[in-house]
Amino acid sequence: MRWSKPTALALALPWLLTFAAFWLFPIVYSLVMGFTDYQLLSRGYEWVGLENYRQLLADPDFIKALKNTFVFVGGTIPVTTIVSLGLALLVSRQFRGRGLFRAGYFVPSITSMVVVALIFTNLYQRGGYVALLTELVGLSPPEHGFLFDESTALYSIMAMDVWMAVGYYMLIFLAGLKSIPVELYEAAEISGSGRIRQFFWITLPLLRPVALFILVINTIKSFQVMVEIFVMTKGKFDTSTMVYFVYEKGLTTQFQFGYASAAAYVLFVIIALFSVAQFRLLRRRQPLW
Amino acid sequence: MCRKIRGVMGSQLVTIVLIAVLAAPSVIAGTTIEWWQFWTDPGIKPTIESMVAEFEQAYPDIDIKLSDLTWADGHAKIVLALASGTGPDVLELGSDWIAQFAAAGHLADITDHVAAQQDGFQGWGMATYADRIYAKPWILGTRVLFCNRGLLTRAGFDTDFAPITWEDLLNAAVKVTALGDDIYGWGSNTAEKHRLYKKFLPFFWSAGGQLFTDDGKYCVLASDRGIAALHFYKQLHDSCGFVSNQRGIEDAFLDGKIGMTISGDWLLKRIEIEKRPIDFFTTLIPGIEFTGRSFLGGEFLAVNAASKKTDAALKFIDFITLAKSQVAFCKANRSANPASVEAQQDPYFKTNPNLQIFIKQIFSANHPPVNPEWVNMETAIEEAVEQALFGSRLVATSLHEAEKKIMKLMQE
Repeated sequence: MRWSKPTALALALPWLLTFAAFWLFPIVYSLVMGFTDYQLLSRGYEWVGLENYRQLLADPDFIKALKNTFVFVGGTIPVTTIVSLGLALLVSRQFRGRGLFRAGYFVPSITSMVVVALIFTNLYQRGGYVALLTELVGLSPPEHGFLFDESTALYSIMAMDVWMAVGYYMLIFLAGLKSIPVELYEAAEISGSGRIRQFFWITLPLLRPVALFILVINTIKSFQVMVEIFVMTKGKFDTSTMVYFVYEKGLTTQFQFGYASAAAYVLFVIIALFSVAQFRLLRRRQPLW
Repeated sequence: MCRKIRGVMGSQLVTIVLIAVLAAPSVIAGTTIEWWQFWTDPGIKPTIESMVAEFEQAYPDIDIKLSDLTWADGHAKIVLALASGTGPDVLELGSDWIAQFAAAGHLADITDHVAAQQDGFQGWGMATYADRIYAKPWILGTRVLFCNRGLLTRAGFDTDFAPITWEDLLNAAVKVTALGDDIYGWGSNTAEKHRLYKKFLPFFWSAGGQLFTDDGKYCVLASDRGIAALHFYKQLHDSCGFVSNQRGIEDAFLDGKIGMTISGDWLLKRIEIEKRPIDFFTTLIPGIEFTGRSFLGGEFLAVNAASKKTDAALKFIDFITLAKSQVAFCKANRSANPASVEAQQDPYFKTNPNLQIFIKQIFSANHPPVNPEWVNMETAIEEAVEQALFGSRLVATSLHEAEKKIMKLMQE
């Protein structure tokens, strides 16, 4: 059935209106605000051009948040991808209790981030289980707990994030593994290829679209890390990230909407650049490895 | 059929108009005041509601519409409401928010209204911005030193010992820590937003430190006295500190693991409600040679500048801040510091030695400067303390950096 243009437009109108009012308008409005000195409590605002962006680059708190965000992204994405692929390979085999393992790995990813963050805050505290495990392997845990130390706080949050995310990406990898024809492995076996050779020459190349999808999604998600920082450290102990910085500047204390909007757009540009780069990689025809 | 429908609609319209006409006089005659407040705890909310009911009985032409806020997002809600011109008539405000809202023109100037009431209340300094008064003190809040008598006795001190000077405090904290067995002399706050600076500033003020020069033009946070104060605070933290957030410190204190810590009247409330068997006492904050200075804050009541019912709003504020209302509130909430001087004389406070300590401490307590940029300044101070305690920076370097940040805020 073919809809006439006015009918199609009428049917799409509710969504279009919602999109325009609650997505498009705020996006454009915050772009404009980024060029003003608008603070929520002030009676007016002035056009300041690129001043907010200039200030951001000179703001040590912003630079620190930027650095932490890159550490978070650079640290979690490779580990999450490799671990989730490993788990997918393990649970794709036939063994007793396979369903239990699959469900067990997946459960953290459907649990509320706030709940997980509160549980890990407890685990990471002085005398908590993680400290005890650290002592068991002969290392000395931070004196006041893992989240109260600049050298461990961010990495502790990253470890929790990896633990939480791997189950979800494992499931996507599993779907990818299922789509690889069994005949390819049979042919490889007949030609005398071992397991490792099969993995590098069949599994990995054919999982490329799935892996890149995971990379794109996980990159965007990791750049937006905020909730765990808010719950576990409130940005203290060198754990502030870009979204947390935007929240702090825009929605606490002085409500500096102009400045926070500029910071949000810096993050937007970074995510956009990464996504474009990853999509271009996705379109490449030659094998990646 | 059509005529029938029209008939029904017509009669409905007449009914609606009649209801509107009949209801109108009562709406016009009465004034409704909207009050946003933070006391949502089931232990205190009924008292708030009964105070409102008493007011409505005393002023039948004024109705109060009560709305609850939480400390988690109350500030943001107030900012959004005031900025959009939809705020309530009466607001309960934390002392450090007053300057921010007053400077932006969102609070009514009540200087003339409260001119004759000033001797009857404490805390006006926190409500005064640019020589005008923008809020009325309701319930003040200060902090005192909580000591575990059992641990001090075990550490070799007499049962009537109370630390008066920094030397006493450090000596006692070291000896209690030496008891070992997961026991600490001092409860030291972690880098908790809006809390850490409140723990450091009493030491800073007790050392004679000033945040600004007398003319208010320069920040002098990193003076010799300021540096000495942070050095001492770090010494306590490093040598005897049980480091946690405020709740964690209080839990450990109630579990008998901490010798001394600074806290507020809410800890007295916990001890009473939870029926903790702890042998404790409270005392004034120690200073270098004599007793020192504490931190002062509190709850204030203000009128929205955009309210068209200022007179009724002020009547309500005056009623809520009456001595008898404050005593009722403090009894229900176990608050120690009513702003009303008359309320402080009530036997409820006079007969309780711990509440007396809180009332005495008010007289040697400082409040932060009433400055719209204070929220950012406090962050700079907190970061300096955090860097000195948990980071790798030297005490003097971290304070100098905070001083520079505050100067920049002042110039802006």
